[in-house]
Amino acid sequence: MIARLRNRAGQLTAAVAEPVKSPPPPRPADPGSEPAAGPHLKLGTRRIPVILPRRGDPRLKISAVIVALQVLGQTALDFKLSIAQILVTIGVCAVVDTGVTLKRQGVLAWPASALLTGNSIAFILRASGTKHGDWWSLNGIEYFVLAALVSLLVKYLVRPGGRHRFNPSNIGILWVLLVIGPVHVFPQYLYWGPLGIPVVAALAVIVLGAIWVLRAVKMLPMALAFLVPFTALIAAFAAAGRSFVAIWSEDPISGFDYWLRICASPELLVFVCFMMSDPATAAKTPVGRTIYGAATAVVAAGLVYFQPTEFGIKVAILASLTVVCALVPLIELAARRLRQRSEHDEVPGLASSLRTLGAGAFGPTRIAVILITVTAVVGTAALAQNRDLIFIERGLTGPRNAQ
Amino acid sequence: MVRRAGPALGLLLLTASLVVGADLFGARAALFGTAAPPPRAAASTRVDPFTSVDNSRRPVKTSLRSQPWWQEVGRFDAKQGASRFRISEGAIQWRVKWTCERGQFVVRSPAREEPLVDKACGADGSAVLSDKVDGELEIAAEGPWTARVEQQVDVPLVEPPLPAMTAPSARKVAGGRFYRIDQVGRGRMTFHRLASGRYALRLSDFYVTPNVDLEIRLHPLRAPRSTPQYLSAPSKNVAALDITAGSMNFVLPAGVDPRRYRSVVIWCPIITSAYAAATIKPA
Repeated sequence: MIARLRNRAGQLTAAVAEPVKSPPPPRPADPGSEPAAGPHLKLGTRRIPVILPRRGDPRLKISAVIVALQVLGQTALDFKLSIAQILVTIGVCAVVDTGVTLKRQGVLAWPASALLTGNSIAFILRASGTKHGDWWSLNGIEYFVLAALVSLLVKYLVRPGGRHRFNPSNIGILWVLLVIGPVHVFPQYLYWGPLGIPVVAALAVIVLGAIWVLRAVKMLPMALAFLVPFTALIAAFAAAGRSFVAIWSEDPISGFDYWLRICASPELLVFVCFMMSDPATAAKTPVGRTIYGAATAVVAAGLVYFQPTEFGIKVAILASLTVVCALVPLIELAARRLRQRSEHDEVPGLASSLRTLGAGAFGPTRIAVILITVTAVVGTAALAQNRDLIFIERGLTGPRNAQ
Repeated sequence: MVRRAGPALGLLLLTASLVVGADLFGARAALFGTAAPPPRAAASTRVDPFTSVDNSRRPVKTSLRSQPWWQEVGRFDAKQGASRFRISEGAIQWRVKWTCERGQFVVRSPAREEPLVDKACGADGSAVLSDKVDGELEIAAEGPWTARVEQQVDVPLVEPPLPAMTAPSARKVAGGRFYRIDQVGRGRMTFHRLASGRYALRLSDFYVTPNVDLEIRLHPLRAPRSTPQYLSAPSKNVAALDITAGSMNFVLPAGVDPRRYRSVVIWCPIITSAYAAATIKPA
C-alpha cells in the first residue's frame, strides 16, 4: 500500500519533452535506514519508493490521444481489435516494465512509457481472424504478447551507449509483422473508411492531439521534415504509375488514390505524430530532428516504392523508423558538424568525429543494432515478392482469408 | 562464461529473426504456414482429363483454389472389356458409380494386393474413396456392366470458349466486370448469342469466395450493392456455380434473354447472401 504522500507526485520522473536523462537509480531501500522522502510502498520492513505519474508528462498526453482513437476504433471505425487484446498488451508491458524498474532501480515507478508502448502495439497490430465488435476475444493474443515482450527486451537489452536506440513499440510491431508474417498478423489498414463523421472525428483527434503533444516535445519541425518530402516522393511514385493492392479495395490503388490513401492516412499521421516523436529515440537537437524527420521520409519512400501491397507499404513505413533510429548518433554528428560550420567553429575531421562515436568498436550491442537494422531492410524488401501477401490482399484465399 | 552466453544467445536469436523475417529459404512459410497454396495446373475440362485435354496448350499453373468440384474421369462399360483409368495426384477424393448384374464389381490397383472396391453385383452401387493411388486402376466385372468414375479436385477450371461462341453466326451481346458484395468476386463475364438463338455466359479470370451450391442469377437492378438490395427484386437462376475459380462457360436455359436483366449476381442460398455481382453492359 502507499504509505504517505509528502511531495508532489512524479518529481523524480524525467520529462519526455527534454532529452531524457535517466535519474540516478535510487538505492534499494535499506530496512535500517531513514524513511525515504516521498510516496513509498511498505512491504514488511522494506520501503519501496513510489513514482507516480506527473500531470505534465507528454506521455500521458499521447496516451490520452491513443485512448481516444481506440474508443473511436471500437465504436465507429470497425477496428478488428478487441478490448481484451488492448488490455492484455498494455498489462504485459506494464508488469514487465514495472518489474524491471523495481529490480534495477529499487523503485516502483508508474510505467508511463510501457503503457504507451502497449497501447501503441494494440493500436497498430492486428491478429488475423479478429472481428470487429468481438470485444473480449483473445484471438491471436500471443502475437500481441510477443510484440510487447520484444519491444521491452530490445529496450532493456540493446542499449549502445547506455540508452535504448530503437522505438520500443515500433520494433515490437515490426518484428511480429516480419517474423510471424501476413498469414497470422497484419497492421491496421491505411484506409479507415469513407470520409464520414467517424473518420473526420478521428482526424480531428489526431490533428489536435498532434498539436498538443508535438508542441510540448518540440517535434513539430520534425513532423514537417518528414511529411513534406514523404508526400512529395509518394506523389512522384503515383505519377510514375506505382500502385498497390489492399483487401478493402476492389482494384489496385493507383494515381491520385495511391497518394491519397498513403499520405492522407490517419495511420501515417499517427506514426509521425505519436511514434516518430518519441524524444527518447529521436535526435535531440533541432537540426538533428529535422534531419531525422527527412531521413525517415526518404528511407520510408525508398522502401515503399517497391511494395505492391498495403501490408508491405505499412511495414516499409515502420521499418524506416527502425533504420533511422539506428542512425541517430550519425544524425546527431551531422547536425553537430552543421552547427559548427554555421558558427564558423573549427570542425573536427570526420574520422575523429566517428571515433568519438565509438565507430569501429563492435561489441554485441552494436552487432545487435546492425542485425535489427538489416532485418528491417531485408525483411521489408522481401515482402515485395511475397505471394502470400498478394493472395491475402486480393482476398483470394477464400474461407482462410487472413484479414 | 554465463556473461558471454547471454549476448551470444541474443545475437543468435536476432540472426534467426533475420532469416525468418526475410523469409530466407522459405523459413517463415515453413514455420508459420502460408496462405498461398503451391501452384498447380488448372483443369482444362470438366470431363476426362486424360483424353480430352488440348495438348497444344500448356496447362495454366495457379495458386488459386476453387470450391472442390467433381470432374469426370471416365465412363466405362462391358463392351470395352477391362477398363483402366488414373486418378490425379492432386485429387481430394474419387468415386465410382456402377451397374452390374452378376458376380463381383472390382476396382484394382496393381500396387495393392487387396482390391479397392469389391462388391457383389445385383443393384446399382457406388463407392467414395480417399485413398491416394499411383498408377492406373482397373475395373473388372462379369456380364453387362457400366461404371462412371469421378474425382474431386479444387483447382480452377480454365476452359476455352465454346465453339458455338466463336462460330461466325454467334455474337457477343453484353459484358461486365464482377465486384464484391458480401464476399470477394473478381473477373469478367460476357454473354454470347449463339446461332441457335440461345444465350451462353462465359466467365473469364473469375474468382468468387468458395462455397457450395452457389447460383448464377440474373437480376433487374443495375448494380446491387448489398444482400437486401438483391432481395428487393425477383431474380432468375440460370446456372449452378459448382466451380468458383477459372474461366468457364454456361449455356443459359432456353427462353432466357440476359438483355432483359441489368446485372449478374452470384447468390448463396444456403446463407442467404449475395456474394458478388457484375453490371450487364451491352457490347
